[in-house]
Amino acid sequence: MQGNLDGVVPLETEEETPRLETSMPLLDPGAPTDLELMRGIQEGDPDALSLLYDRYNGIIKALVLRVIHNEAEADDLLQEIFMEIWNQAKNFSAHKGKPLGWMVTLARRRAIDGLRKKQAYSRAEERLQSETEQQPEAWAHNTTETEISRGDTRQLIRKVIDSLPPPQQEAVELAFFQGMSQREIAAKTNTPLGTVKTRLELGLKKIYDGLKELRHEL
Amino acid sequence: MSFEEFQNRSRLYVIGALEPDEIDEFEQARKQFGQKAEDFIGECYALHEAFALSLKPAKSSAALKDKLMSMVREKQQR
Repeated sequence: MQGNLDGVVPLETEEETPRLETSMPLLDPGAPTDLELMRGIQEGDPDALSLLYDRYNGIIKALVLRVIHNEAEADDLLQEIFMEIWNQAKNFSAHKGKPLGWMVTLARRRAIDGLRKKQAYSRAEERLQSETEQQPEAWAHNTTETEISRGDTRQLIRKVIDSLPPPQQEAVELAFFQGMSQREIAAKTNTPLGTVKTRLELGLKKIYDGLKELRHEL
Repeated sequence: MSFEEFQNRSRLYVIGALEPDEIDEFEQARKQFGQKAEDFIGECYALHEAFALSLKPAKSSAALKDKLMSMVREKQQR
């Protein structure tokens, strides 16, 4: 896979350098920020990891489940991902981006690696089909104020993604959540390669532009 | 490659969707555009965060966290 574990850095503009603020949950007054927790982890403080886990395990597990579609395997991967966060925290640099972006990039890579291994032995297509239908139930919980705030963010982001024409949405989701290449998407959807490329470029641009607009709503 | 085209490719790059035969050209353009290119690529990683946050959080058992924390503490003591 290309890319690295870099996170979000300021956009280049003519005036100031705004960031794509997509996500930050509301924190209780006095609660450590994500960055403070990452610094704690870098200094070897397990309590910092414990707090970071409490804050983001739900999001990271949802991402892994969306890729791998198996509860037990998702739990194993979740544990491995947080161990990797603990072990690799020294590689995180606040200059390159936010902790959540770094964690999500790491988690996605691990989940897609897991999916690739799994696909070597199993008929993933069948499982994917049946488990996709069960996902809404599996994800249902949203009680605390923080969760409600995240829920609002989620709805806004979902709205951006759902506004894409279905073929663009499908291409983007296959690329992001299944780690498929353009050629793999073309084969799966029986679509010319050039069309897949256009769908991906247009879809990702719309999401990117939509996120920039969301900065003003979040 | 124009910068607009580079931006389109960058968004594919960060999600790992560039084809192998597109990577050389992308890397050349990346060098050509320098810091401006690096800044834009970094910004594109917000897409990762956004996709994750578009999902409803999933529950995990308390036992999973206990196991993780005991592994961390064990590793720390070594």
